[in-house]
Amino acid sequence: MLTVAQLPAGQLAARLAGAGLTLQTGAFVTRLQSTIPSVVRGVALMYADYPLGPDDGYADFHLRMVRPLNWRRWLRPQVQLLADGLAPFKPLPLAQAYPMFEWGLNWCISSRAHSYLMLHAAVVEKHGRAAILPAPPGSGKSTLCAALVHHGWRLLSDELTMVRLEDGLIAPMPRPISLKNGSIELMRAALPTALFSPPVHDTNKGTVAHLRAPADSIVRLDEAARPAWIVFPRYEAGAAVELQPVAKARAHLRTAENAFNYSVLAARGFDAMAALIEQSDCYDFRYSSLADGIATFERLAAPP
Amino acid sequence: MAISWRLCPGQQLRRRQWDGECVLYNDLSGDTHLIGADALELLLALHAGPADTDNLGRHLRSAGMAADDAEVATMLEDLERLALVEAVC
Repeated sequence: MLTVAQLPAGQLAARLAGAGLTLQTGAFVTRLQSTIPSVVRGVALMYADYPLGPDDGYADFHLRMVRPLNWRRWLRPQVQLLADGLAPFKPLPLAQAYPMFEWGLNWCISSRAHSYLMLHAAVVEKHGRAAILPAPPGSGKSTLCAALVHHGWRLLSDELTMVRLEDGLIAPMPRPISLKNGSIELMRAALPTALFSPPVHDTNKGTVAHLRAPADSIVRLDEAARPAWIVFPRYEAGAAVELQPVAKARAHLRTAENAFNYSVLAARGFDAMAALIEQSDCYDFRYSSLADGIATFERLAAPP
Repeated sequence: MAISWRLCPGQQLRRRQWDGECVLYNDLSGDTHLIGADALELLLALHAGPADTDNLGRHLRSAGMAADDAEVATMLEDLERLALVEAVC
């Protein structure tokens, strides 16, 4: 299947400017239209390895990134995200156009994909078994996820864990990993050959940048994984590494707190969460160094 | 005279138990509750049919769960606040 990088020269920008570029990111196809240079460059850099969507024109999500035609365009240019023709968010400064695309796509998925139990959690896989990392912002979830997927784990997602309701397996949705503030330089130093999008400053989240997903994770877009561990990570400067079991009933409630649509799914959400917890060993994980994090996850995945 | 109790109509007691703790889905509110073994035993007893506080206390004690009448009454009030049980007039 043709990937973004295999498009002939000029075709990426032409598709984005025309009928749209269709991207296959796991179970979903996204159609994106934009002539904003930073979006074109961001997609070229971050989505080079992704297959294009089907030629029949079908897409789950239709996104347009446009510059609003208001007076601000002369003084403080802005970007507006349109999802299926509607504007779910206020415009942002133009410099934030690429991150806004990523945030907008997250919003489309998390607000609509109710054939999954969706968790606000990173998820990585090794030997067919997935480790889910539910955590609020600031816990170091994405940073730890970025380190793991460059040390032998497959990226399923750094933000949205998609549990299929029909069989409880986790559907991969590897996308660029969102990094914030200090973790950007930390990961640049730790992963000198990895590709990062240019940092964007002064967003609601501070400075943000995206790390390109590993190519081997994108190749395996169709391989679902069985959940095996739920690990609640907490970065704490100077803390000794600690992995403590969490009682399953409590893990059920804590994971539900990190779900996007647990309540929407009602009893089906309860059943899906209970099945997820049943087959997972649950832990609190405190760490202060990525080396400790990588080593701890290596021990988890080691055969008994 | 002891108050008689029943499960709130519509409650299915959809639940999962691990290591002595239970998560219970509330069909009326959509909430999930973390409850102990004694509260679950009360709910299961009421699932079989309405019962008064005295009988429920005896039931818990016969199931090996130490509970005096005051504790049973408090537990039932807590479950009533969650719309899991209701007093029968």
